[in-house]
Amino acid sequence: MLRVDHLTKHYGDTVAVDDLSFDVAPGVVTGFLGPNGSGKSTTMRIMLGLDRPTKGRTSIDGHAYRDFPAPLREVGAQLDAKSVHPGRSARNHLRALATSNAIPLTRVDEVLEFAGIASVADKKVGGFSLGMSQRLGIAAAILGDPGVLLFDEPVNGLDPEGIRWIREFFATLAHEGRTVFVSSHLMSEMALTADQIIVIGRGRFIAQGSVDDLTRTSAGTVFVASADDARLAQRLRDAGASVAVSERGLDVGKVPSSAIGEIALADGIALNELTPQRASLEEVFMELTADSIEYGSARAAS
Amino acid sequence: MNGVTLASVTRSEWIKFRSVRSTLMGVIVTTVLTVGLGALIATAVRANWSQMNPIRKLAFDPVSASLGGTLFAQFAVGVIGTLFITSEYSSGSIRTTFAAVPRRGLVVVGKLLVLVGSLFVVTEVACVATFLLGQSIFSGVVPTASLGSSAVLRSVLLGGVYLTLLAVLGLAFGLILRQSAASISAFTSLLLVIPIILFLLPQSWQNAATKFMPSALGHSMMSTNAPENFFGAWTATALLVVYVIVAFSVGVVLLLRRDA
Repeated sequence: MLRVDHLTKHYGDTVAVDDLSFDVAPGVVTGFLGPNGSGKSTTMRIMLGLDRPTKGRTSIDGHAYRDFPAPLREVGAQLDAKSVHPGRSARNHLRALATSNAIPLTRVDEVLEFAGIASVADKKVGGFSLGMSQRLGIAAAILGDPGVLLFDEPVNGLDPEGIRWIREFFATLAHEGRTVFVSSHLMSEMALTADQIIVIGRGRFIAQGSVDDLTRTSAGTVFVASADDARLAQRLRDAGASVAVSERGLDVGKVPSSAIGEIALADGIALNELTPQRASLEEVFMELTADSIEYGSARAAS
Repeated sequence: MNGVTLASVTRSEWIKFRSVRSTLMGVIVTTVLTVGLGALIATAVRANWSQMNPIRKLAFDPVSASLGGTLFAQFAVGVIGTLFITSEYSSGSIRTTFAAVPRRGLVVVGKLLVLVGSLFVVTEVACVATFLLGQSIFSGVVPTASLGSSAVLRSVLLGGVYLTLLAVLGLAFGLILRQSAASISAFTSLLLVIPIILFLLPQSWQNAATKFMPSALGHSMMSTNAPENFFGAWTATALLVVYVIVAFSVGVVLLLRRDA
């Protein structure tokens, strides 16, 4: 269990993270979603003991990160793809990491093979493409076979084949009972990758739930087509619903679909169609974070 | 299986140290400057010996004359020490390093051990080599010295100590400033620019201040007879060690406090 507890981080006058609290459960892929600059990377850096929180704390299975005798065997992390010395080979980079945490060096060859970069293992990292660097980051993250994995924007720079590979990889890690925490600013990507989603904006907690939960709780409407749309629209408005009339039928808001069915039955109006409209995750995200985008286009224009 | 220990971190830092080309280049440059320029200076001394005035001939020290290349090598070792930490900041690999070893003090001590261990060997070998080469160049024309004399042996061996301490000073500057260019500029200023500024001061101030400069301490360490107004070899060594400890401690305190 990864826990963020009333976390606050100031950089000078800038508030990067503002009283943020949430738990990340093992066994599922948890997406960490927010616009650029919303505090995702800062939160992850604090989880790894790299930045010191102004207030609050993060813990992993109840322990502070720096208390682990061999952190790489508890938590694997891929921060940004370029956090490797460009003059060092991929193999030497992983050897140095493994050695520091007393991880057997045979593991280095295994993870190079797994990440699909064994053929370039002795080349300098400076010559790697972004995709190859991402794969090296993933190799480094799983080096110690950790139970908790953190990935910061892992799909950046990957080709479609690589993205599919990484999605399956996350699912496998979660299936093995590990905690998998993946940040992204791309809602569409998270909808396909994550089971659980935590949304933040401007360093503050906004929402947490499954993709299903989040799309359902948003202001979804119900599409209704009936034998007598005009009369049904009137009855629904009387019942306090908002109704938009189109040629095909009615878009009804503010009342659940069960109530619409009952109103139609009471008035003897036959329904042809009754379909709850689910907002796309993208729409939910835009709606949830509309107030918290630091450099929104409207602001930029003014 | 053990976890993170000073031994495991030091081994890890040793892998990092030897797996980048800049280290190898730095070691080669250090050796070439120490031995090559030392030989060049010795050759020039020999060629001009007959025209040298008698007072300078009397004050001539065949030991420090043969170790002249260290004046240039001190910048090379400073750069090696600086880059050992600043290249981690410029590449971002410092975050990988500290995530693997959250007790940052271990990382710094590991780097210190690797730097001192490897450069001490390299610089001692280079100093002995340039001394022997210099004496063989002087031989027959210019007075020579022998390692059989304890004062001579001390001066030659302190040459390696001086260069190793300057490498650690470079590491300390890197810890404090975290940027390669800024750290190397500061290091170079300390060795070159400040002595020039002192040179512009009144003579009495100069005499009081110059002997405290690291380059003057190095001169004392590598001379069989330290010049007038300068510290003796052991006092100079102790003072340089104090400088290095102070700078390094400031670097470590900042490292422990700052965000990576």
